[in-house]
Amino acid sequence: MDIQLKRGLLDICVLSAIKSEDSYGYQIIKDIKPYVEISESTLYPILRRLEAADLLTVRTAEHNGRLRKYYHITELGLKRIEDFKCEWQEIIGIYNFVTREEEK
Amino acid sequence: MIKQEFLKELEKALCGLPDDDIQKSLEFYSEMIDDKIEDGLSEEDAVSQIGNIEDIAKQILSDIPITKLVKQKIKPKRSMGAGEIILLILGSPIWLSLIIALVAVVFSIYVALWSVIISLYAVSASLLVCGVAGVLSFVGFSILGNAVPGAFIAGAGLVCLGLAIFMFIVSNLVTKALVWLSKKIWLGIKSSFIRRGENNEKI
Repeated sequence: MDIQLKRGLLDICVLSAIKSEDSYGYQIIKDIKPYVEISESTLYPILRRLEAADLLTVRTAEHNGRLRKYYHITELGLKRIEDFKCEWQEIIGIYNFVTREEEK
Repeated sequence: MIKQEFLKELEKALCGLPDDDIQKSLEFYSEMIDDKIEDGLSEEDAVSQIGNIEDIAKQILSDIPITKLVKQKIKPKRSMGAGEIILLILGSPIWLSLIIALVAVVFSIYVALWSVIISLYAVSASLLVCGVAGVLSFVGFSILGNAVPGAFIAGAGLVCLGLAIFMFIVSNLVTKALVWLSKKIWLGIKSSFIRRGENNEKI
């Protein structure tokens, strides 16, 4: 898949992985992995980018005697997911247009 | 490799980057390894699944904007003493002029590149004007009854028009090449900065 496209899609995947409840790094990877290939070193910059863009917030909580970071989606993050859904409708339209040209 | 080794290696690879970036990435990878172990993996497996330290370090590096890297490099490790500040001010005629000279050199190279482009287009444009004028003067010569020299000038004009088109294509190609080249140079400057940042700290 195109790198730029995959990057954009992964952002949305991470956001939707924390949409219903706060989650942590390892869990996010486990949730996304069946759908898109993602590794720890890919997730890290995504989380930092989303945090910098105020799409999610981070809180540290104790877990089994150590610290773990939990990621919480913001209003802006939820809006980003909704925007993505709309954009995707457009993309489906474009896809239909492209494939119709081929059939002729 | 066990977790502590991994984290130490990663810290070494990230040396020279802003402290908070190092701290955050170490925390992230430490948590990842712990979670993997908690999920049933052995410490060795958990670490090896994380992947190559070089790649991780490169990825982290590429995500930090160059302005932050420069700031980190320039920022002194400790506050300067009065003596150093005085030296810095006294030395300003030297280093200030050096910096100005450097900027001037870079700027003049840039201007030179663009003047090459502009002159190429200027040649192309003047050939175009010559060509049009040559062809038009044929009409004038014909009216005055000098059809033969008129035809010669018209021919020369047509040659000029041909050359103008040719020059225009050449100019376009040269412009593209120069733009590409300057982009390459800029990228080179940026990456040399980053690599230098890494090496300095390793020594």
